[in-house]
Amino acid sequence: MFKKILIANRGEIGVRIVRTCREMGIATVALYDISDRGSLHVRLADECVQLDSPKDLSDPQKVIAIAQETGADAVHPGYGFLAEEAEFIRACEEADITFIGPPAEVVETLRTKIETLKIAHAAGFQTPVHSTVSYGDENLADIEAEAERLGYPVIIKSCSGGRGRGERLAGSPRQLARAVHQARAVGQAIYGNNQVYLEKAILPAYQVGVQIVADKHGNIIHLGEREGSVLQNGHKIVEEAPSLCLNQDLREQLWRTSLELGKLFNYENLGTVEFIVDSEGQFFFSEIKARIQVEHPLTEMQTRIDLVQEQIQIAAGEKLSRDQDSVRLEGWAMMCRVRANDPWRNFLPTPGKLKRVRLPGGPEVRVDTYIYCNCEVPAAYVPMLAKLTVWAENRDKCLQRLRRALEDFTIIGPPTNLPLLQRIVHMREYVTGEYTTDFRVSMLDDDPIEDPDDHLADLAAAAAVLYMHRNQTINPQISERMQGGWHKSSRRLPQ
Amino acid sequence: MAKLAVTIDDQTYDIELSLSPQCGAVCFVTIDGTRIPITVPDLENPALELEWIIVDGRPYELTVEENLQWIKAYSGLHRVKIHDHEAAVVPIRSSDGRVKAPIPGLITQILVEEGQEVTLDQPLLVLEAMKMENEIRAPLDGHIETLSVEQGQTVAQNDILVSINR
Repeated sequence: MFKKILIANRGEIGVRIVRTCREMGIATVALYDISDRGSLHVRLADECVQLDSPKDLSDPQKVIAIAQETGADAVHPGYGFLAEEAEFIRACEEADITFIGPPAEVVETLRTKIETLKIAHAAGFQTPVHSTVSYGDENLADIEAEAERLGYPVIIKSCSGGRGRGERLAGSPRQLARAVHQARAVGQAIYGNNQVYLEKAILPAYQVGVQIVADKHGNIIHLGEREGSVLQNGHKIVEEAPSLCLNQDLREQLWRTSLELGKLFNYENLGTVEFIVDSEGQFFFSEIKARIQVEHPLTEMQTRIDLVQEQIQIAAGEKLSRDQDSVRLEGWAMMCRVRANDPWRNFLPTPGKLKRVRLPGGPEVRVDTYIYCNCEVPAAYVPMLAKLTVWAENRDKCLQRLRRALEDFTIIGPPTNLPLLQRIVHMREYVTGEYTTDFRVSMLDDDPIEDPDDHLADLAAAAAVLYMHRNQTINPQISERMQGGWHKSSRRLPQ
Repeated sequence: MAKLAVTIDDQTYDIELSLSPQCGAVCFVTIDGTRIPITVPDLENPALELEWIIVDGRPYELTVEENLQWIKAYSGLHRVKIHDHEAAVVPIRSSDGRVKAPIPGLITQILVEEGQEVTLDQPLLVLEAMKMENEIRAPLDGHIETLSVEQGQTVAQNDILVSINR
């Protein structure tokens, strides 16, 4: 087993990895830039190294140099940053440092989105209809012709994009030029690449991912599926497992297909096989996420398997800790992503100091986070503050538990999306489970949640008190204490 | 002593209250003519936030939106409107047409041109920050007087992006 693992990440997943390493008796090295120095992943690690800039977390050479200097024998990439960079994985191999994740050649294939779809399609798997080539600068006419061939609506995707960035939907030929322009502009500005490709949009749809785990000895198992169809600006914010859009037959079919796809791509370590499921229950393979995913706690709650530990053991050459028959998928799990976004102001990110933080607790409630009272949320990273995951025997109980845990969750300081999450778990579509990727929720145009009258009167009193407090703080008048003479008399010597 | 009309969702309550540090952490408010005891964290050092309150034996965990337009409690989220009978001044919308970067980031798209007429809340440009695309919108009606950034440019917080003249 490894002696020391460098965590090439930060934030909540950094904390998550440190914790498992500590339980396994493996030392950890955390990385941080100066704006991130107080984050919990730094405070909990055995060693830490300061970076010159937040960009260094995406710099393969710098990360490897630090691994060598600190004597780490393995690197855990978490998600994002260097998690799916074949170049980095090769550089690790050359430096004789184990990369905790799939081999370079697997990642290389899976990162080329069109190529992945072609291979899966050729092997007989159903994939979304897509353009077979990508498009550069000067061929809008070709794109128009291709969009006609695929049929509207189409999604224009940046070849380098991902995680909701650089994707635009065009519902008609009229919207195409603008959508292409926007997808390109984003690709160019962020990734320096304006190549795009087209995919026929499946609407409405469900986003379902199956967790697979494969070791170096040819064993592969699945750990059930997760669904993440509630999106906010293209980012998943509420997820659950199992998926609601599948019946048992379809579910088992999806699991089998995922294992076949895993084998097709010679997959190794932890990964997620992602599908788009349409309203008729047809499923289309879209990609394999070659990393640990943000939403992995859902699977951990359902299976009681520590997925980070599994990743580390596989990378160290061990066999899977169990076979398919000994995996139990029990009960229901739900997860919310608490983000530093202002739901009242178009989800503008809200970095800054958190004045108060109070995390929910109680049975089967888990919070993965790097924040704490008085910490700084740096502006250089994604705005995710915390993941709240809850488990119960069935969906009804799970929903009640999630509601109660959200109500218990307090962050005071810059606005967060907590009120939005609280609204979602009360909305009819979510409660009944009849939601798709079309599900939209806004703080601005929805009716308030019903409430008995006496509570409203109490809240009116609370609002009035806060209004007075703010007036006193902003326009301090001479306080009544000063006027009452108590102030002076308190200085009087004892008589 | 303040006299307020507080509307929560669609219910309006007449509230009278006087918060003086002399009463410690407990004081009384009058809601629609009924005197009710409340307990708050600190009356001596009133804060800009109120994390919890106890109203007549009923405790509440609170999150209040910055502009006091929404209040979140255990039971859910509610719209708030406060009318202060004694404060005659109605807050007016800012006439400052300078649009500043609310957070540091990268300009990924510019959606308007100099000289163009724009209306309140019209998207002006897209600022990528914290791995998110954020639309920056017009704070008022007017025309674009100056456009100070270009696509692909990195901006610091409070950099002026666009100036709008009424």
